[in-house]
Amino acid sequence: MSAPSSAPLLVLRGAARTYGRGPLAVPALKPTDLVVDAGEYVAVMGPSGSGKSTLLHVLGLLDRPTAGEYLFEGRAVAALPDRDLAALRNRAIGFVFQRFHLLRDETAERNVALPLLYAGVRRPERRRRALGALEAVGLAGRAGHRPGELSGGEQQRVALARALVKRPRVLLADEPTGNLDSAAGARVLELVEAAVAAGAAVVLITHDPRVAARAPRRLGLVDGCLGPAAGPWPAVPAGPGAR
Amino acid sequence: MSSHWLPVAGEGLRRLRRWPLRTALSAVTSAVAIAVTVNVISLSQGLDEDIRRDVERFGLRTLDVEAASVVAPGTRVDPLTLADLDRIRARVADLDPEAVVPRRHAVGTRIPDGRRVQLVAAPPDYLGTLDVPLAAGRWLTAADAAGRDGPGPLACALDSQAAADLWPGLAPAACLGRPLEVRVAGRPLRLVVVGVLSDPLRYRVLFETFDSSRGARTLSSALLAFRNVYLPFEALDGAPLSGISVVARRAAQVEALRERLFDLWPPRAAGLAAFLEPGIGVFVRKDWMDALGGSTQTGVMVGNFVWIVIVLVAAILIATLGLVGIRERYDEIAVRRCEGARRRAVAWQITVEGTVTALLGGALGLPLGYLGAALLRALVDFPFRFEIRYALPATGVALALGLLGSVLPARRAARLDPARVLGRRIT
Repeated sequence: MSAPSSAPLLVLRGAARTYGRGPLAVPALKPTDLVVDAGEYVAVMGPSGSGKSTLLHVLGLLDRPTAGEYLFEGRAVAALPDRDLAALRNRAIGFVFQRFHLLRDETAERNVALPLLYAGVRRPERRRRALGALEAVGLAGRAGHRPGELSGGEQQRVALARALVKRPRVLLADEPTGNLDSAAGARVLELVEAAVAAGAAVVLITHDPRVAARAPRRLGLVDGCLGPAAGPWPAVPAGPGAR
Repeated sequence: MSSHWLPVAGEGLRRLRRWPLRTALSAVTSAVAIAVTVNVISLSQGLDEDIRRDVERFGLRTLDVEAASVVAPGTRVDPLTLADLDRIRARVADLDPEAVVPRRHAVGTRIPDGRRVQLVAAPPDYLGTLDVPLAAGRWLTAADAAGRDGPGPLACALDSQAAADLWPGLAPAACLGRPLEVRVAGRPLRLVVVGVLSDPLRYRVLFETFDSSRGARTLSSALLAFRNVYLPFEALDGAPLSGISVVARRAAQVEALRERLFDLWPPRAAGLAAFLEPGIGVFVRKDWMDALGGSTQTGVMVGNFVWIVIVLVAAILIATLGLVGIRERYDEIAVRRCEGARRRAVAWQITVEGTVTALLGGALGLPLGYLGAALLRALVDFPFRFEIRYALPATGVALALGLLGSVLPARRAARLDPARVLGRRIT
């Protein structure tokens, strides 16, 4: 992972996202302030429809706030052209989704190598790094398997390897354990926490208090409004980045 | 496109293998379009070239002095005379033409069945005004003219089509030595066939089918019928001259000869319209050929219109298949966008997929076109002709087809909002 800069990694200032216009407008994310430092581990909890995914898409530069400001490593990014946003996503942001979102016709190795392809990395290097990332998530022996040949936990670990192979500044995880049994989920969370230990910031969306409890900083999102999450929290071992 | 455009193109090629049915359907659509396109092009272009070549046999270096062939009823037309022949010879002598050849024309009826026969009486050097080889036998000689006064029949030569009309199914060589008796201006004329010319009109069927469907002969087929019975010039003594041909030694001489002849008969309307003016006129055969060649351009244009429509329809089909495919690939495209693919990279990948598919179809379309042309030739006896030189335009058409068919799918894929897909607001 890159060395953190002095500025906060992610800063939202009054950032909001509204879908539609006029009387049909739906405020998915109300004006929100958020600061995430490099290497910080933040869990965001909230019920379905509360705006968690919208927040994640805004943070991941997949969506633009309709109001307010978003600074990524101190740089205003909301108005950047597609080319620059794609480049930032490619080199600095890792994504993990509840439904894995792997390319089902490609092997684990090629799935993991995907971001490197868009970074212009040459094929032998892509392969080397992809295999290294798979090894790091314990799937070295599954590099040639396609997603359909892997269990849910393994697929999520492939997705995690794909997110981490680019050595991102921030890992954005949207319900990463939502489709997994507890053992597989625990394994995935351990890998997320390992990424934090390696210096990546993590913003993890979940509605599971046991998952959120592992993060040192927990936020709640209700009806598009972000704030401190209310406890009580289950007793879990504190993960890396605890303050 | 940055340095990753080649790997992204490679991704596109890999995707083709992952969607074999859709790839095959798109490729077959392209193949059929290419096959039809190549055949339409080969038919229209080939016909155009062949007709021009056929017409050129009529003589690029030849000028004709003729009375109008087509006149309004009641219009008096002065015939050409032997005095005119002498005037022409005198006027062009210093330009040293290869030949000045008169001819007479008459319509006879065959005895006993009354079949109409076109007779052209011409001297031995008349064949030099044409570029038509003999299919069998020989052309007329000066000795044949001398036979007019003898007891035996007169020698005659036939156009291939005249032989076919008189003796259907008989090979040219089998016509040699056959007697032919015709009645001309009320008197019988006994002939014997000494030669049969090849048919210079490769696609005679086109002209004649067109004529028969209209119930009348076109000016083109009237001028270029090539279904005459040729006699020694003296055989029709007393008949007026129907035309005098002046053959230049070189094509560059034609203009000078024309100017000389214009001194005798001033210029008339240009091109084929000249035939509609009464009186005697000077015609340069190359002008006819240009006019006739120009008329085949209409056919070429119609052919081009047909294949362009076919290519557009194929492009629409390929685009539709592509759009359906994009809809099924929303997840994949969203993931690629998440992982750093720019809109342009996504569009590039989809365009490569569509274009390569169309090119694969093009490669399939060429042999398909060849088979189609062979089948059509066998079924309809029409001059479909496939030539390998059409591979290049076919490749161009396939490329255009792929690009056209990829525009909409690539645009849709590039504009896809990954947040909407991943947030399941779009499926």
